Amino acid sequence: MPAVSAPPPLRFPSRDFFEALREAMRAERERFSRLGFFDTTFGVRISSDDGGEPAEFALRFEVFDCVGVESLAGVETDFVVEGPFAAWREMLDTIHALGAADTAHSLNTLTHFGEQLRVRYDDPDGHDKLYRFAESIQEFFDLSARLDFAYPDGSRPPAARAERQRSAR
Amino acid sequence: MSYLSTTDFTEDQPFVDRFERMLRGDLDLSWLDAPRERVTCRPENARRGLTFRDLDVGSYGFTDMPELIRENRSFAPRGAAMPEGLPDLQAEVNRKSEVWAYNIEGYYEEAMTRQWNATTDIPWAELQSVELPEDIGKAYAQLLTFLTEVEMIATDVPAKWMGRLNADFFEVKNFIATQAMDEARHAEIFRKRALSTGWGLMRASAQNEFNLKFLRDADSFAEASLALHLQAEGMVLTLFRFSEYISPTEGDKKLFRLVMQDEARHVGYGMQHLKWVLDHFPERREAIHHHLDEAENFVFGGGYATEVLEPFIILSGKGLKKENIAEGVRITNAFQLKQADEYFERLAKCGLPERRERSRLWKMIDLRKQTMAA
Amino acid sequence: MAYYAEKNFFEDQQLIELVTNILSGNLTLEWYTAEGGRVRARPSDLRRGLTYEDCNLGPYGYDAIPEFVRNRYSMAARGSVLVSKLPDLGYTINRRSDVWSDNVVALYEEAKARRWAPAVDVPWAELTAGDSVREAAMAQLCTFLEEVALVAMEMPSKWVFSINQEFLELKSFLCAQMIDEARHVEAWRKRALTSGHGLGRASVSAEQALKELLSAETYPEASLGTNLLLGSFVLAMCRAIAALAETRADRLLATLAMQDVARSVAYGVGHMRYHLAHQPGKAVALAEYLDRTEHVVLGIAGSPEFLEPVVILAAGSVDRDRLAAGSRFARRWYTSAVEEYFERAAAVGLPRRERSRLPRLDV
Repeated sequence: MPAVSAPPPLRFPSRDFFEALREAMRAERERFSRLGFFDTTFGVRISSDDGGEPAEFALRFEVFDCVGVESLAGVETDFVVEGPFAAWREMLDTIHALGAADTAHSLNTLTHFGEQLRVRYDDPDGHDKLYRFAESIQEFFDLSARLDFAYPDGSRPPAARAERQRSAR
Repeated sequence: MSYLSTTDFTEDQPFVDRFERMLRGDLDLSWLDAPRERVTCRPENARRGLTFRDLDVGSYGFTDMPELIRENRSFAPRGAAMPEGLPDLQAEVNRKSEVWAYNIEGYYEEAMTRQWNATTDIPWAELQSVELPEDIGKAYAQLLTFLTEVEMIATDVPAKWMGRLNADFFEVKNFIATQAMDEARHAEIFRKRALSTGWGLMRASAQNEFNLKFLRDADSFAEASLALHLQAEGMVLTLFRFSEYISPTEGDKKLFRLVMQDEARHVGYGMQHLKWVLDHFPERREAIHHHLDEAENFVFGGGYATEVLEPFIILSGKGLKKENIAEGVRITNAFQLKQADEYFERLAKCGLPERRERSRLWKMIDLRKQTMAA
Repeated sequence: MAYYAEKNFFEDQQLIELVTNILSGNLTLEWYTAEGGRVRARPSDLRRGLTYEDCNLGPYGYDAIPEFVRNRYSMAARGSVLVSKLPDLGYTINRRSDVWSDNVVALYEEAKARRWAPAVDVPWAELTAGDSVREAAMAQLCTFLEEVALVAMEMPSKWVFSINQEFLELKSFLCAQMIDEARHVEAWRKRALTSGHGLGRASVSAEQALKELLSAETYPEASLGTNLLLGSFVLAMCRAIAALAETRADRLLATLAMQDVARSVAYGVGHMRYHLAHQPGKAVALAEYLDRTEHVVLGIAGSPEFLEPVVILAAGSVDRDRLAAGSRFARRWYTSAVEEYFERAAAVGLPRRERSRLPRLDV
């Protein structure tokens, strides 16, 4: 019988990574239903450390689901969250280790003054959707704790800590 | 011109200077020294979470709140230190017994955790597949038209009073906010259901609109609450129970069960409020009777609303044929007597047992019972 | 008593005969032929349920509400068949563009779907009371926010009674705002009273400012002042608390509150856009309203009862060096709150950057 090898880990950043988050969200339908309608399309832009082209995706949410992951080019978005790969990695590492972002690495904290991650938008109405759906967006990214993924250099996020402590204390 | 703050803060140089000092890290910290009662509130029951009852401690609680609120005329949260210069918000209702109800904190917490959504909690797809026969469909659409029309009176009236209550009665204000939302949801669900029957909305009810005007124009919160929460909503609660009984589909039964829960909470507040008033403000008894005299006059005048009475008969008899109508009349009669009985029972339970003797409505109902028995 | 029935119905023989006749099986069926228009509302997306948007049909729809509602002063459901003798319930806000916003229907549905209950949705057990100055600052901050929420709850309640029932979806959104703010009164109070410090001090400057906002003369002024102006700053406050949180409970509390406030801001923006699109002449009066009233957010955001606790929360202590870091946070917070407010005001056609007297800071 031929040996079955484990599927290769997802890569971050990649479309597959966000597609996997989309699947994980689908599996958590009840949790996201409890958080309420979630209607926005926003972009994520991960700048390359070596000055190369950024990775860009548009995430489309409707009702309680992520209904689309696509290339950002040409997509009309409410806002775009952008930042260097290192900032995204720090957020994802924390989520992977703790099961969810701690208070120092929530999307709100990271974008607060635009130091680590920045929010770009044309219309304040679109921007305000980042706030209107803040907890749903946070919990969407928190689902990455369940994914098996690797960064471009082959390194992995830290394994989940036995005792997950999400406060920054 | 409306009220203007005693200071234009951008023109107030000492204020601006202090603002800039704070932003340089030069803090005054006088608020740290404000006299206060140090408490640590914790959930008594972890499953229930942290409730207002858990916060009923010392000067922060509602148990020790005085009958007359003399000190706080501002938005200072109850128990907070009140420095000089707080504005007077001209609250019109400063007497606890005019607004308070036994278990008000419990009704509020229940309301907050039992919110539901008319958009998603009803099996609309299932209802869509049901085609009601014309007589039932029209009668149901007419009943729903009436309910859509009257529900939001119980938003407008309490909301009108919210700003007139002293801020120390925030549990009551918060309850009013939940009721406003409940009633908006009721107007919504009845409207949506009417528009999904295929018949649309039907005829407005002039007679009931006069009753709504009576509810809107009450002179005091206590009178508004008496007529709204206890009399009107009490009767509507019986009506919802009856409507659940005669509902044409399972989905409609669910709809009425959900609105019934909310309505029962409002009636609960009304009853516990009246009890509180009679226990703590007994001199209001006569005024209460006077108000009920007119409220019951409107109830009796509701007989002119054929657009409410007749759909009931058709729905409970399940049709327009002679035998259906006869059965419908029998059931509707029973419902109306039950509605009146429950109303007078509630009043008696609140401490107004003499209402039966005094009420012309009771006498008319009694007469009807005798006629039916004969 | 203010209003009486037109007659004593107990002595109305005509009524007694009518009811007796009906209860003898002789129905009038006068209403049976009344039809406002046959429609069948259906959910366009079953996941979303039956929304008000799905009910926006013909004469029943909100699209059919005219700019001036001249002939409907009762609570008769929009689109139902009117009868003679409907009473005037005394509505004084009868112009659609004084209250409407294109996003208000969706915001109402969103508000219901995104509801939460502070008692059970915040993990209170994770919070530990303490003597720390940080907890004292949190207690003061929450006292302040409870004070603000009380006013934000009263603003819609004050107006809903006067708004014509034809604007049902808008009135329903105001009810959602009321319950949102009741939730905030509750949540901030509960957080303060778990701190071990009790409540802090009420704020004179904030209350003076809030009273000015609450007593706005017209609904458009009240909405601009409370939803767009005050809302922008309260939204920024919630963001700051979430960003400075040290526990999941505090982060969640501030984030959930933030979502609610953001809906009010979105309505405020949408309402002003709609209002000025239909009544462009009002831009002058509203700009003047902001000229004289905008100062209130300095009285609120610049009050020591708010700003000092924020500096301490950002600093983590009252050590001089740490306070310098905390004050840098506060400066940036204020600057970005003003900036976001200017952006929203500009987006609705009320540019403030040049006109505003609010202090600008070098960050």
